[in-house]
Amino acid sequence: MPITLVKKIKADGAPCRKCAEVEQRLRDSNLWHRIDRIVIADERDPESEGMQLATQYQVDLAPFFIVEEDGHPAQVHTIYTRFVKEVLKAKTSEQEELAEVMENNNLDYL
Amino acid sequence: MPIVTSEVSRLASEYKNRPPQEILELAFSHFTNIAISFSGAEDVVLVDMASKIKKGVQVFSLDTGRLSPETYRFIERVREKYPIALEVLFPDPAAVEKLVKEKGLFSFYKDGHKECCAIRKVGPLRRKLQALDAWVTGQRKDQSPGTRAAVAVIEADMAFSTQDHALIKFNPLANWSSAEVWQYIRDNDVPYNELHQRGFMSIGCEPCTRAVLPNQQEREGRWWWEEETIKECGLHVRNMSR
Repeated sequence: MPITLVKKIKADGAPCRKCAEVEQRLRDSNLWHRIDRIVIADERDPESEGMQLATQYQVDLAPFFIVEEDGHPAQVHTIYTRFVKEVLKAKTSEQEELAEVMENNNLDYL
Repeated sequence: MPIVTSEVSRLASEYKNRPPQEILELAFSHFTNIAISFSGAEDVVLVDMASKIKKGVQVFSLDTGRLSPETYRFIERVREKYPIALEVLFPDPAAVEKLVKEKGLFSFYKDGHKECCAIRKVGPLRRKLQALDAWVTGQRKDQSPGTRAAVAVIEADMAFSTQDHALIKFNPLANWSSAEVWQYIRDNDVPYNELHQRGFMSIGCEPCTRAVLPNQQEREGRWWWEEETIKECGLHVRNMSR
């Protein structure tokens, strides 16, 4: 089950803060070794492999994970805590999960 | 029979120009375990519409502990007026106590609102949604053109679905403007939050909500000390063509 992590470089050439956070959390949780390949989505270069993958999978958030399994279509995960729980079968805290929901969603209608 | 995730985009397309009442009828015809989220603001029109379609509709409100007195009074007026099952949800007291102990009562002005909202809103919301098959929200495209332009009338709720539990979200007012909502309120004698009379367009927690001036965007009345339109994690795929 090869797992690819797609990280972003922003249009101004700076690394994406969220991507760095996710990488650090994987390292802190001893899960980094489960990532087989890291690909860069460089916003300055639409031909970069990560940008091509984003187009192919219609993803508009970074970072994201692509999980490939023989005989199945590739699965794309943009929610870190769900990826950790469902794919890596590791634990996440409720605090982390709620924070990620807030980070990724505009819930101001509530 | 419940709508499944694979049917959502077809139905969203089919219903995108239908009136909110038809979208609610669709929702109630497919789901019995469904609830309306009522924020104590003008999304009360959904409660009015729904109670004309079905008695005893499940409605829930999130009491963050920081709502305005006007909003608490309004929630009770709605409970008394409509034949609904209104549930008020509260945050985990231990999580709130920990936040306040560590950061005080107004940490959001310094650290941003998301940490506080995660505890006071998202926690109880998620707990409720885990027990539902579908929910109904009052979100509209015109509330925030920068971040909400793509809201569909029916969506698979990717934020709260899990591997074992698919959740469908209905947004019957997605294509209505604020003017249409208020026309409905006037035409149908629907009660509304008295804060609206004082220039509040968007109503949330008391410390995070303020009145706006004429022609200001609705969401300028919320978290005005933060820059909400920039989402750093966005991948700007649409800008790729040269």
